Amino acid sequence: MLAEDFNLPKQTHEIFAVMSRGNFISSNGSKDGMNRLYDIINNPENFERLQAYFNVIRYNIERGNNYFYFSKLNEPNSELEKKLERFERYIDIIDLFASMDNKITIGSRFRPGEIAEECNANIRLKQKLQKIPLYRSETLHNKVREICDLMSRDSYLELEDEKTESYKVLDAYTYLLDVINSIAIYEETEGSDTTTGINYN
Amino acid sequence: MENTRILNRIVEINISNVKYTDIELSGNTCFVGTNNFGKTSLQRAILFFYSANSRGLGISASQKPFEEHYFRYENSYLVYEIATEEKPFFVIVYRHNKLVFRFVDAAYDPDFFFTANDEALKIKEVIANIEKRGIYISNQVDTFERYRNILYGTETDKVLSKFFLLKGNEKYQNIPKSITNVFLSSKSSIDSRFIKDFIANSLTNENSSIKLEQVERQLRQFNEKYTDIETFLKKDSQQLIEMIDKKYDQVHMLKGAQMEMADKLGSSLRYAESQNEAIRNASKKKEEELEKITEEHDAFLASIDDKQNLAREEIGYYDRTIREANKKLKFYKEQNIDEALEKNAERESLMVELNIARREYESLTSNVANIELKYSSLIEQLRNDKTAYINRTNSKTNEVFNHFNELQLVQKNEYNKREAELKQKREESINDVNAEVTAKQIEFNELKSEEKVIKSTRFYDNEIRDLENELAELRAVSYKNKSERAIKQNMVHSIQREWENLETKLKTSLGNRVNQINNEVQKIKEDIKEIENKLNVQNDAFYGFLEKNVKNWQNTIGKVVNEKLLFRTDITPELSNETANTLYGISLNLEPVEIVSKSIEEYQFEKNTRLAQIRDLEESLNQFQVANNEEKMLAADKFGKQLGELKEDVKVLTYSLDLADKREKKLSDELEDWKNRAGKEVDETLTSNRQRLNLIEEELSILSRKKNLLFSDFNNQLDKLKTYNDERLAELKERQETEISELEVEKKNSVKEFEAKEDELVKDKDINFKSKGVDSKQLKAVESRMKEIQDALKAIEQYAQIISDYLKDKRETFDKLPDLIQKKEEFVKNNNEYTVQQEDAKGKFNLKRLELNKQKRAFDEELIEFNNGISFFSNNFRDTPIYTKYADIIEKAEPRRTQHNIMDLCTQLLKNDSHFNEEYGAFQRYVNEFAGKFRIDNHFNFIIRNDAVQSEYERFAQNLRSFLNENKIELSIAETATQIGLVTDSIATKVKELSGQKEKIEHIIGLIAEDFKKAEFEESKLIEFIKIRLEESDNKVYKLLKRIQEFREENGLVYNEGLFNTDFATGQKREISGRAVKLLEQLRNAIKEQEQEEIRLQDLFELKFNIKEGMNETGWTHKIDSIGSTGTDILVKAIIYITLLHVFIKESSHRSSKDFKVHCIIDEVGQISAHYLRELLRFAKNRNIMMINGLPNKSGLESHYKYTYQFRREENNNVRIFPSIVTEVEA
Repeated sequence: MLAEDFNLPKQTHEIFAVMSRGNFISSNGSKDGMNRLYDIINNPENFERLQAYFNVIRYNIERGNNYFYFSKLNEPNSELEKKLERFERYIDIIDLFASMDNKITIGSRFRPGEIAEECNANIRLKQKLQKIPLYRSETLHNKVREICDLMSRDSYLELEDEKTESYKVLDAYTYLLDVINSIAIYEETEGSDTTTGINYN
Repeated sequence: MENTRILNRIVEINISNVKYTDIELSGNTCFVGTNNFGKTSLQRAILFFYSANSRGLGISASQKPFEEHYFRYENSYLVYEIATEEKPFFVIVYRHNKLVFRFVDAAYDPDFFFTANDEALKIKEVIANIEKRGIYISNQVDTFERYRNILYGTETDKVLSKFFLLKGNEKYQNIPKSITNVFLSSKSSIDSRFIKDFIANSLTNENSSIKLEQVERQLRQFNEKYTDIETFLKKDSQQLIEMIDKKYDQVHMLKGAQMEMADKLGSSLRYAESQNEAIRNASKKKEEELEKITEEHDAFLASIDDKQNLAREEIGYYDRTIREANKKLKFYKEQNIDEALEKNAERESLMVELNIARREYESLTSNVANIELKYSSLIEQLRNDKTAYINRTNSKTNEVFNHFNELQLVQKNEYNKREAELKQKREESINDVNAEVTAKQIEFNELKSEEKVIKSTRFYDNEIRDLENELAELRAVSYKNKSERAIKQNMVHSIQREWENLETKLKTSLGNRVNQINNEVQKIKEDIKEIENKLNVQNDAFYGFLEKNVKNWQNTIGKVVNEKLLFRTDITPELSNETANTLYGISLNLEPVEIVSKSIEEYQFEKNTRLAQIRDLEESLNQFQVANNEEKMLAADKFGKQLGELKEDVKVLTYSLDLADKREKKLSDELEDWKNRAGKEVDETLTSNRQRLNLIEEELSILSRKKNLLFSDFNNQLDKLKTYNDERLAELKERQETEISELEVEKKNSVKEFEAKEDELVKDKDINFKSKGVDSKQLKAVESRMKEIQDALKAIEQYAQIISDYLKDKRETFDKLPDLIQKKEEFVKNNNEYTVQQEDAKGKFNLKRLELNKQKRAFDEELIEFNNGISFFSNNFRDTPIYTKYADIIEKAEPRRTQHNIMDLCTQLLKNDSHFNEEYGAFQRYVNEFAGKFRIDNHFNFIIRNDAVQSEYERFAQNLRSFLNENKIELSIAETATQIGLVTDSIATKVKELSGQKEKIEHIIGLIAEDFKKAEFEESKLIEFIKIRLEESDNKVYKLLKRIQEFREENGLVYNEGLFNTDFATGQKREISGRAVKLLEQLRNAIKEQEQEEIRLQDLFELKFNIKEGMNETGWTHKIDSIGSTGTDILVKAIIYITLLHVFIKESSHRSSKDFKVHCIIDEVGQISAHYLRELLRFAKNRNIMMINGLPNKSGLESHYKYTYQFRREENNNVRIFPSIVTEVEA
């Protein structure tokens, strides 16, 4: 079946290129015409066509609050586990963001320098930032930069202005919050061993 | 001298590093010299003659400008000598700050410029030198433009108009451009792009391109605005706006409430602090007052008690006296005192009677006195004995009687004593009970009074009154606000109507104007079409025929022939000498007749005029639209602001009314609450009072029962005592009577015995008397009468004591009894009055005490509340962030009494703050999300910093509200709609302007193709053909620009109303607007992708060549290199240049001006073969073009030029240019 048979929008390829990488298309994203892509998917007619088309290749478009992403039909468990592992590292990041004086919410604009500054001035935040694994950066600023970079790559943030290093929080951030919020930490006691684990609801 | 005009000579005097050179140029010229010897500099100097543009000579930016490099000295001159049909003239170029020109009407002569010592003169000297010889030298020509006008024959100044090289038409600028282009591109590789550039550059000036940066900027600005508006109009954004607005109100209200509460807290705190001492004093004062009235009351009660005791004593005394009197009266009555008194009243008369009887007896017994005496003595003796006996017996009887009487008295005394004791006990007990009852009764009365007081007391009166006042005020303000809001809403409606009317008016006027302009444009377009038709057919029509074949036909045929006939192509005109200058053989004087026909230029001019008219009309429409929009914007600004302000007022009023409603509800609730509390308080107090009353009543009834019991108990005891007493008395009486009766019987018997003895004596006596003759009968009668009287006296004597007592008592007591009773009653009355006074005093005192206690309690409670509040504030509030937040308000509040206590206020503030924070968090989230939807530099300025403080968020919401109220989005839409109109219009105008020249290109290409055909290549067989053709441009940006222009023409100016999904947007308009936006976006993307700075004329078309050289045919291609050998390429290139030059010169010069030659300067032709060179020179010559070429060295080729000059660098680095001696083998 050809794409033309579906009477698809001409941005279909672009949409696929973004979402098949596991990224989101948020309504408030401005880079690479992301908001346009959102509008295109959000058009009910387009949505149906795109859904039908992508279902053929075993992708499903999932709709969030002002964002879209792909889920795979019949995704193997190993893939799911990998996905979950990706979220684990966000727990500490979200914890840090939620503890900031100036809350990071959808649409917020900030510079890594601001966050680093606040962390530097607040020992609790500083500890939280230092606790975040996976990063080898020495200065707080660079660490925050790396976090922002990671989140931009995962399309939760957008580097809006390279010159001022200003990031914007995209709508997909809700997805991250939802996933993190649905994680329940449980403790298992077997004999003397205590195991801590995470449940994803 | 040939009969043509040509640049004959160039003379350099102190130019660059050439001290002097004089180069002849009237034929093909060749410069031979190695690189960097000044060949190109010389060629530039020649080019400058044609172009007079020091900037367009191909000098790179790193090199010195032409002026500085060439004209180093004040006596540096470039002299160009131009040969004409008559005598030559020359032009001097020198530097006078800038480069200036002077035309001299003479052939060049070095003497003009040099002294006898070959020293170059200064310009003034040169001028003087020339003028001295009577030769005309023009004034200084200051501008390049004027110089070119003179040189190319368009100068209007008659003095200068003869100094022309050729007579150019309005397009003469193409000639210098073409010559320049050939020179500048002679080193470039040859492809169609170059040819395109060449043609285009020749046809255009620097400004006739579409600067894409500018277009991109316009598009970006439009796109950004469009995106902003689109984002704003999105459903999500609108929802967020609503939520922000709502949350802002909530947050604002909460904040207001918090501030109000903080103010109340501050006021309460200040009040509590300031009132502490005062309340303490007030409480103390109340206490003192209470003590004082208690003392007064006690004193009063004591005085009343004293009075009562006195009264009671008096009453007791009188009571006792009356009781005793009554008792005595009763006793006397029992003793038949009345009878006794009556009998006593008879005593005196009886005494008299007795005395009479005694005297009668004595008279009767006087004769028998002895016997009488004897018997009397005996009888007396006997009687005495009897009396003694009787007396003894009576004494005994009396003793017994007395004894028993004594016993009875003792018994009675005992009884009385016991009875008195019992009665006293009873009295005491009853008194105790009565005292208790009285106390309870007092308490009962107190409670009753209290109940009355409670019932009449209005609890929380101040609070209720304050609330009622506040409610009344609030309702008055609400009423006022409601009226004000209604008025403002009406104003909003009327302003909206006014605004709508104005908008409709503006829209209608715009529509009318658009229609009018479109009609006019349509009409002009039709005219243009007609002219274009004429222009298109003119070559093949009668007009073309006349142009080609009849000189000055406009002045002859042109005056008589119908204009339509001139453009007919079907009348096949032919020349016939017979009828020349006649009309069908008739000669006419056509001098006064007006010329009907027009020149092609005039038609062109007319066409241009009409195009300009269209442009003007469109411009006027644009201006009208802009003005219309401005008016719209002004209206929006005016009405929007008014509406905004009014709406804001209405909103504020609505908000304050809401608040007032809430406040009213709250106050009503509070009032109700206070009333309930007051009622409850009354109820509670009454209930407790009633409970106490019931208790007392119960106690009173118990006491009453107790009293009754006591009474019955004591009465029983008394009864028993009485019974015992009565029995005892009866027994004593009985024994007394028994003993007395026994004594009486004994006495009676004895008396009888005495009486019998006496009777015997009497009888003896009587016998004696009789014996003596005494009437014993009479005597006896007297004696019995005496006895009767004596008995009666005895009986009376018996009551003597009691009567005496009675009379004494009567005198002393009974007669005073009414007085005593009256006095007792007086004392009873007084006593009752005292009781009433006491009760009154007690009631009043209790009330007062109650009131004072209540007031004191209130003060104490208030004090406790204040202290608790202050302590709570210090311990639990002062260190919280909320205190810091409202510290200013709290600390600056005026001391004022509020209805809320400090603790409640603190708790409520803390509680509310947490709620406020939640709401504020949501508010901030909405603002962030909303602002995040827009670009960071959006034109609405919807931007909020991440670390923005609360006031910034609030300002954001306020601005957003103003934005909505003032309907700024409509303004923005109108601006953007105008902008899209202006952008497309600007693009369309630019594209039209640019593509307007496409016709020229087509024309030129046609001519070039024609010229190629004319080339006599067949003769030499070197090149079989060169073909050129025009194709549509494949430039993406240009294609889109063109589409936009077509779109603009198709849809006119006004298609922008449907730009957004607003009320204006109708289906068709939206569709059109959508297309416009899409096209602009595509263009923007294309510009970005293509990274091209500008769209020039050459981007409007593609050129393709097909060249056949020998057996090689290139086919239709862009590239024209590698056709054959390098020489062939150079040849083809040169042929094309020459053709181009020829065509342009032909096009740009006046038709009548044919007698001139120009130069084609191609620097490098070194690799061309001699054969080809010859062909080339001949090709050029046929087109009145002289070649100026550069050769690196002598190779034999120079022999084909008329003039050959060699270049040599001398030791002082100066360059010397000298003619080479060659044999010309000119073609």
